[in-house]
Amino acid sequence: MEKLAYEKPTINKIDFAMASKYGSPINTQKVRTEIDGISVNELTEKFGSPIFVFSERKMEELYNNLYSAFSSRYPDVQFGWSYKTNYLNAICKVFHRLGSCAEVVSEFEYQKARALGIEGKDIIFNGPYKPYEDLKIAVQEGAKIHVDNLFELDDLEKIATELGIVIPLAIRINMDIGVYPQWSRFGFNYENGDAYEAIERMYKSKKMKLVGIHSHIGTFMLDANAYRNATTIIMQLKEQVERDFNSEIAYIDLGGGFASKSNLKGIYQSTDVIIPTPDDYAEAITNVIYDLNKSENLPKLYLETGRALIDEAGYLLTSVHGYKRFPDGKKGYILDAGVNLLYTSTWYNFNIETDKHYEGENEPSLLNGPLCMNIDIIEENITLPPLNRGTVLSISPVGAYNYTQAMQFIRYKPAAVLIDRGGKARCIKEVDDLATINYKEI
Amino acid sequence: MFKHENLITSILKPYSSLLFLNNKYMGLLLILITFTNPSVAISGLFGVFFTILFAELIEFKESYLAQGFYIYNSLLVGMGIGFLFSPSLISIALIAIASAFTFMFSFMLNRLFSTYKIPILSLPFSIVTMFIYLASLKYSNLLSTLVNNASSFDIELPLIISGFLKSFGTIFFLPSNIAGLAIALLVLYFSRILFIMAVSGYYFGIMVHSYLIGSYEQALYNPYAFNYILVAVALCGVFLLPTWKNYILALIGVAISVMLTDAISILFSYYSIPVFTLPFNITVITFIFILSSTYYKEFNAEIKSSPEESLSNYLSKIFRFGKTHVKLSLPFSGEWQVYQAFNDEWTHKGEYRYAYDFVKTKDGKTYANDGLYASDYYAFGESILAPVSGYVVAAQHDLVDNIIGEVDRINNWGNHIIIKSDSGFFVEISHLMQYSLTYKVGDYIEANAIIAKCGNSGYSPEPHIHIQAQYLGVLGGFTQEFCFSEYIQGEQLIFNSVPKKGKSLRAVIKDRSISSRLHFILDDVFEYELYKNNIYVSSVKFCVKMNAYSQFYLQDELGNELYFYNDTKQFYFYNYQGEESHLKWLFKLAPRIPFVSSQALNFVDYLPVYLVKSKLQSVVIELLSTLNQNIYKQEHHYDFDGRCIRSEYGKVCLESANKALTLISYNHTELRRKL
Repeated sequence: MEKLAYEKPTINKIDFAMASKYGSPINTQKVRTEIDGISVNELTEKFGSPIFVFSERKMEELYNNLYSAFSSRYPDVQFGWSYKTNYLNAICKVFHRLGSCAEVVSEFEYQKARALGIEGKDIIFNGPYKPYEDLKIAVQEGAKIHVDNLFELDDLEKIATELGIVIPLAIRINMDIGVYPQWSRFGFNYENGDAYEAIERMYKSKKMKLVGIHSHIGTFMLDANAYRNATTIIMQLKEQVERDFNSEIAYIDLGGGFASKSNLKGIYQSTDVIIPTPDDYAEAITNVIYDLNKSENLPKLYLETGRALIDEAGYLLTSVHGYKRFPDGKKGYILDAGVNLLYTSTWYNFNIETDKHYEGENEPSLLNGPLCMNIDIIEENITLPPLNRGTVLSISPVGAYNYTQAMQFIRYKPAAVLIDRGGKARCIKEVDDLATINYKEI
Repeated sequence: MFKHENLITSILKPYSSLLFLNNKYMGLLLILITFTNPSVAISGLFGVFFTILFAELIEFKESYLAQGFYIYNSLLVGMGIGFLFSPSLISIALIAIASAFTFMFSFMLNRLFSTYKIPILSLPFSIVTMFIYLASLKYSNLLSTLVNNASSFDIELPLIISGFLKSFGTIFFLPSNIAGLAIALLVLYFSRILFIMAVSGYYFGIMVHSYLIGSYEQALYNPYAFNYILVAVALCGVFLLPTWKNYILALIGVAISVMLTDAISILFSYYSIPVFTLPFNITVITFIFILSSTYYKEFNAEIKSSPEESLSNYLSKIFRFGKTHVKLSLPFSGEWQVYQAFNDEWTHKGEYRYAYDFVKTKDGKTYANDGLYASDYYAFGESILAPVSGYVVAAQHDLVDNIIGEVDRINNWGNHIIIKSDSGFFVEISHLMQYSLTYKVGDYIEANAIIAKCGNSGYSPEPHIHIQAQYLGVLGGFTQEFCFSEYIQGEQLIFNSVPKKGKSLRAVIKDRSISSRLHFILDDVFEYELYKNNIYVSSVKFCVKMNAYSQFYLQDELGNELYFYNDTKQFYFYNYQGEESHLKWLFKLAPRIPFVSSQALNFVDYLPVYLVKSKLQSVVIELLSTLNQNIYKQEHHYDFDGRCIRSEYGKVCLESANKALTLISYNHTELRRKL
């Protein structure tokens, strides 16, 4: 038998109660041995640690659940994959295969979508900053442009003159839906009449016409009613525009913002309790459309859901490099992944699971990343059994934003793996090396 | 005043009503037959005439008269007087008095009886005639007009046949076998079932009677044997459906009426009053009273113009729309599995057997990880959808969700909601997540609305949805049998059924875009261009109409009528009246259009026999289905993808932007919607 390493003695409080309002103490070890049938140890051995792992099955399940919640209630629904959420090519391809078009917010994302073979007409071009030249290309390629501000409208008018065409446009609006903070930075405000004035201007110029109305009320919306209110305003504006300008608004776009099952910091209920289900969102939106639609045709409904479709499908596997005992008795683990890879750790408490069941008493621990920075804390207070060097921890859900926002900082950006529908893992992005970092440096 | 047409129908109908049929041509023929005894015929007509006159005098509503019994009782009374006295001024005056009284007496009895949902049959006639016959013992002024009813029309027939025919005739106060034969043939033509019951009832009654009195001949000579015919027909075919079980009930009824007839005749003969239909009335009313108040299943709830039509209507209804009116939608969306069905091994027992439990599964398991936390369970936190539209009558949502492995034995229903459905029954859903309820007591909920989240409160070992239908709106009320109005199993859309234990099924969420396309409004006109082999022929118009019973139908230019209904979850056709036409085809092409569009589905529908079979075949099928109801099942398969319904007959399509069906296509014929 291997000789146990010496450890300085500490005193910890042991809770004997069977269960309290904090839950049951006996089962507090959270274990994840595998992802889609592949052991987490096998994944780190084969592809390295740390590593991002995405489950295609889960993505498909999330997509189908949300899509069918809408499509079973409404005949014409189109999802647009929000590139910024996760634009790894392989991930985008999964969503395009499932039927999503592309939703981009910059010329870079636009180019990325085009490079993936998405036609202009299947790209929604959003965002407050659209460089003139790129905007022009998007117009020429028939992309769905969602106007954000008057300067952009000027640009579009100029482009229309240059090209000698009438540009079909959608307008992004913001409004008070009773949720705070109100997202009023993007698009034109509805209540103060900016939105209507912008639309009036489009028709007066005779160079643009409105075909869609878009809003994006926020992110991680915990109340489906917010969408009810937003849809109401969009449908009211739609009717007003159709009546005043004798035109037809072909589509409405409710943006994204649907919550995923992530634990928002400061909220103590279970995610199952507070997060609306796909049905909640779908019912709120489609009922309002049916109730308020005054035109012959029902508008096509676009949704730009990102987080709710990918977050729970993503894991970050990280290994324990070492641990130390702090002066206050707390145990501190050093992991090979830190906040450089977990951009969203500021807002969410992650689900942290060990690779097997560990013997020993649970004790309060702290998880540190590899950065030589005091802020590199993944979890400040977590009860864990004694872990060994090499223990693989699964951190989830991290599918949304973490990869795209992960920084190359101090360490190389890690690899990413996709476990496909057949349960096979395949590397979709290799780990960076010095050449990647030095590339383009002069 | 009466319109001509109405007046004629009001006169003709009561005649066929006496045989429980509803056909004016039959009425006309019966009038002609009554003229074999002109005194009876004329007095009967006077009875009808005076009743209508009296009804007009007191400004009685026309629609009341349409209900035959106000008039046919007077008709019988008239004929009864005519049977005693030949028409003279005095006897006609007597008819006038008696008719007015019969009419009022019928009204009164009907008011009293209808409280218990029982018909008055010819009870007013039995009672009024009793008075008249009693009184007439004193009316020496009328004696000169006494009729000799010894029939001069009889033909030589064996007693066993002649007796039957005479009894048939006696129903119309025509105790001659020729009149009886004519009536019997008429009955045979209009309803085989009725005829068979008449024969069975008569001979069974004779048999019972002859055993009791010890003389076969005497039984056959009994002038009141027609009661057996009436009892048999009423109990198996008219008020009860023509089925095997009711056949036996009818025979029991006949045996009872044998005894009653003898008993009453002994009493009545003392005062020289004929028994007439009193045994029939007592027997049938007694039967109906108990069967209707105990919700007997084979009760004929909707009496049509003949037993065949009633049966056909009933069978179409149960095959197409289920045996019970207690119908629920599934209380969730997406795919779930049946954990406990009706009468199941753990808790669905005894008075609580009509309940369902549903769980969500993935790879055969209901939970992820080790299933140690409620949140590991796929069902936990899923939306619960209202299974019916109705008011919330009770709700609780403050109980905690149990830790896995523990159950709450005190509040075993857990967090729950009880909804009183618009159709009157109650639905209870249990084990809701704490504080997830979005409605409160008194709120109105639309079917399919999201009402709560699936939780683990109450006697719940793991998160699941428990649903049951109840007679009462109290927690723990006894359960009531129900079915799910629609669900998807694989690619099959199933209606009005109950899934088996362990089956995975998906809920149907209403797609309002389809229902709104089929939301027809009175006087909507849909014009189509008719193409045959792709060559334009003419234009065809369908108009939306409504009848006096608020039933909506499509009518073409030839007056054919196709009845439709817009349910909460589907649009369907349920009745067709007319000749071969595009509308008749439409019924076959799209007997129902479910409001579901998310995927390609197939479903089975059972078309009414008259729609798909020739007249002769229908007669045979209707007769045989009294023995085996499955013979009536005309199973047809349909594929539906949210746009088009396809079947062996052709296809019918909808379009998102336009109301109504945009394409109806069958047999090289195409109707294209003209816009």
